[in-house]
Amino acid sequence: MTFLKKTAASVFALSAMSGAAFAADTIKVGVLHSLSGTMAISETTLKDTMLMLIDEQNAKGGLLGKQLEAVVVDPASDWPLFAEKARELISVHDVDVIFGNWTSVSRKSVLPVIEELNGLLFYPVQYEGEESSKNVFYTGAAPNQQAIPATDYFLEELGVEKFALLGTDYVYPRTTNNILEAYLQGKGVADSDIFVNYTPFGHSDWSKIVADVVALGADGKKVGVISTINGDANIGFYKELAAAGISADDIPVIAFSVGEEELSGLDTSNLVGHLAAWNYFQSADTEVNEAFVAKWKATMGEERVTNDPMEAHYIGFNMWVNAATAADTTDVDAVRTAMYGQEFGNLTGGTAVMLPNHHLAKPVLIGEIQDDGQFDIISQTDEVAGDAWTDFLPESAVLKSDWKDLGCGMYNMNTETCVQTLSNY
Amino acid sequence: MLRILFACLALMCWCQTGLAQDLTVQEILQQNKKLVEKSSRKTIGPVIEEIAASNLSQAQIFLEAWSRKQVWQRRSDGLFFIGTEVAKRQYALSDPDSGDAIGEFTTKDLKQLKPNSGVRALIATALVQFQLTDPNPAKRAEALLAMERAPTGEHLAPLRSSINDEQDATLKARKSRLERLLTISFDPDPTARVAAIQSFEGDLGVDVRATLNPLVVKTLNVTAGDLPDDVNIAGVVKPGTDDLDRTQAYDLLVAGKLAPAPTTANDIRAALVDHIDGNHVAKVSVDQLSDPMIRRQAYDRLAEQSLVPAFIGDADITKTLHGYTFFQTYGETSAEVTAAAEQALIQIELKVGMNQAFDLGLDAISLASIYFLAAIGLAITFGVMGVINMAHGEFIMMGAYTGYVVQQVIPNHTVSILVALPLAFAVTFAAGVAMERLVIRYLYNRPLETLLATFGISIALQQLAKNIFGTQARPLTAPGWLDGAWVMNDVVSISYIRVAIFILALTFLGVFLFIMKRTRLGLETRTVTQNPRMAASMGINPERVNMLTFGLGSGIAGVAGVAIGLFAKVTSEMGNDYIVQSFMTVVVGGVGNIWGALAGATMIGFLQKGIEWGNPSNTLAAQTYMIIFIIIFIQFRPRGIIALKGRAAGD
Repeated sequence: MTFLKKTAASVFALSAMSGAAFAADTIKVGVLHSLSGTMAISETTLKDTMLMLIDEQNAKGGLLGKQLEAVVVDPASDWPLFAEKARELISVHDVDVIFGNWTSVSRKSVLPVIEELNGLLFYPVQYEGEESSKNVFYTGAAPNQQAIPATDYFLEELGVEKFALLGTDYVYPRTTNNILEAYLQGKGVADSDIFVNYTPFGHSDWSKIVADVVALGADGKKVGVISTINGDANIGFYKELAAAGISADDIPVIAFSVGEEELSGLDTSNLVGHLAAWNYFQSADTEVNEAFVAKWKATMGEERVTNDPMEAHYIGFNMWVNAATAADTTDVDAVRTAMYGQEFGNLTGGTAVMLPNHHLAKPVLIGEIQDDGQFDIISQTDEVAGDAWTDFLPESAVLKSDWKDLGCGMYNMNTETCVQTLSNY
Repeated sequence: MLRILFACLALMCWCQTGLAQDLTVQEILQQNKKLVEKSSRKTIGPVIEEIAASNLSQAQIFLEAWSRKQVWQRRSDGLFFIGTEVAKRQYALSDPDSGDAIGEFTTKDLKQLKPNSGVRALIATALVQFQLTDPNPAKRAEALLAMERAPTGEHLAPLRSSINDEQDATLKARKSRLERLLTISFDPDPTARVAAIQSFEGDLGVDVRATLNPLVVKTLNVTAGDLPDDVNIAGVVKPGTDDLDRTQAYDLLVAGKLAPAPTTANDIRAALVDHIDGNHVAKVSVDQLSDPMIRRQAYDRLAEQSLVPAFIGDADITKTLHGYTFFQTYGETSAEVTAAAEQALIQIELKVGMNQAFDLGLDAISLASIYFLAAIGLAITFGVMGVINMAHGEFIMMGAYTGYVVQQVIPNHTVSILVALPLAFAVTFAAGVAMERLVIRYLYNRPLETLLATFGISIALQQLAKNIFGTQARPLTAPGWLDGAWVMNDVVSISYIRVAIFILALTFLGVFLFIMKRTRLGLETRTVTQNPRMAASMGINPERVNMLTFGLGSGIAGVAGVAIGLFAKVTSEMGNDYIVQSFMTVVVGGVGNIWGALAGATMIGFLQKGIEWGNPSNTLAAQTYMIIFIIIFIQFRPRGIIALKGRAAGD
């Protein structure tokens, strides 16, 4: 028994030493994505993306003369565990930056930790807005960069008059749908023409909900579905949709959380023509995207696809590298100051700019699903500046986020005061 | 003189047609280049119509190519061509007018026109005039689809004339149905419209309701005198009844500037603040104004002096409302048509309601059969043997992955599913036997340890699946003949895959009953579970029987996995979704009895659908309510719906 204890102790000491020795000449990058649980379908890819980007940077000579080292942890789609793992990354592993999270509920759970320990998080996924943390850079789309343009597309281009807002039951779909309801009412859509439904994570029994949506068309108005369904519940939803024989020309479905990755688990021949709104699609026809896709396929295998949050990490990581180079340190406060105004080329062409409200200016793309599981880009806007506080809810319309000049993420423009700097709302 | 006039007219006509003919498709496109490049439903309409109306023989071919996204623009000169792919990123272009080959270009030199669904619908509507009489039935079907999606009055005449020549019986039926729908909306003759409406009596089609409902849309109007006789009046409504709120009615008067707005507490407050004079307002001391009655008095005094508008209260509103008549009008002008539409809709709604209830029942049966299929294996291992197997869900997962692997090897979906079903049984049977031999047999009669051990195994199996198959969902595609749904009418339909699962569940019920009641294994199982020692003394080997029974339960779970994977998803976590439901099914139904599992699944399925129907906006809440109900149910019937009696009940 004593022998065992001794060995264990020496092994522990050895590993701790080697860890310490290693830390001296590397810059640590935390990767906080679920590798198991219901969100693994989406998040595992982002971990692989980060490893690829870090390898690429190391091959270029690393950062500030040091090599980058990825510290990967698995928060297992367990929201409170995200906070634990974030704390572990910052205080035990001493990482300089974290790239991570997918669902908003997991981001909300990480926020207090990252603000308390003054960490730096790059969040790559489209989200509901209504938040601006000093310690988070939001490289995904805010509602005005995805949900609002997509709804406009429904109203203007497809002539949809009746809306079914289907979502998974958590903070992102609920907030997004609140914003969309207010927006649609502002556009003169009656309350009775908006149908809302929430389902649990991983829901698989969709027959009744699909039947309900079809029945909406009984008063002769064109029906459209706006889907904020997340994770693997989408598979059952699209299978039921295909089985019911709903053509995209009759009832179009636009999804905010379904990309190339999610479609790879599906037979898309019955889904041709349904839509998704993102800031990036793999089918974007540019040279830089071609190189990125080729590199990804070479690293991960020919059948793998790229998607929007991957591009967000690509932009976020490169901006962070450039900001650290400009600041000549990886110190969080110095990097944050250097981040404002950072520009980096989008994979879809054009340039993303980091704004003082910690959001990016990016173009909005709308794509139609094709039978090979890819999207055909049918609409692309100019760069849209991400808006932390939506203009369509009266209580948020007066708020503004500007960390550069005002030093405040929740600034009331009417009273000209900072409401609060912590994002514990 | 007349002759000259005719000649002039003829010349003018010729000139006009000549002018129109002068423009080729390419020229029309070039004239509207900006609109075509950024095509939008709102602006592209005239261009499409111009091409369709050009009388050019190539117009149809071009429009069809355009809607199939086959039109490309050459970057160098901005000309438009029809392109076909010859190699990756390489397109052969042809002229949209002459059809002559122009040559091959790479996508670098070209820009594809990508009409969105809205623009494609416009093109399809424009194509109707060409396709309606096309010799190809598929094209005629396309034309019908375009008309069904965007009905217009212009199509009524050509559609009518095309019905008699239609050879295809299905298309003819569709055409005549569409003709009646268009008649309801667009025919000028009210008698024809009423006849068409009556022909749809009791029809459940969404298209019928979509045509009739806009006819009976009502708007609220108000008049001071008699009802006008030039509008189609639906009826008079009295304010203050269920049909019309008093405030709503008064708001209408205010909006029409027929009455002053009612005075609110805030108005009084603002008026008093405006007229404050030192410590007094209208000779009332300010410190008394916390009382609303005194505020009112002060306001009235101000009103007497004409400083503020007179107070409009409840009594005034009632008085004003009495002076007006409120009535509803139809947007549709013909009273016969609206009456017929209302009549038809009442009957249709009644029938739709009945069919919706039936559809809900079908959904419930389908859900029950899925729960039953997932739980039937557990009914054996937990129900009969009393083993709490938390890894039951992972056997379902193993079965589904077996199906996925078989599909990788055998590309034919029908054959692969037929192979996958027995193979999934074999794989999970083996896994079940292995688990029984290695773990469970040491833990009989120690339920807590069994629970913990099998829970550990379930986590290990999940991780193993992740290591082998990755975390991505894997596709398990149903054979083509299970695609689509069995559509009884526009309200009642159920996907074939669910029907197949229902049949599979029934089959397994039969297999289970057969094995338990008619085979030696079943006899031995029942003996061993009742009294293992006595069974052993009769020459039965309890260990062997336990092993086979556990293997059987696991094997059935594997087959269920293939079925569940077909309609939902195949991931390493899919077992989690079913383990709770399976235990719930077995416990609610009654442990140790297959009929109990059936009753439990039926009850849970119907309950879930019933709650979902009552609360359509939140499916998660429906599941929560159901679990609360089941907790209460178990309090009153701890042994489930079908409880074993006598010695069979054990303890």
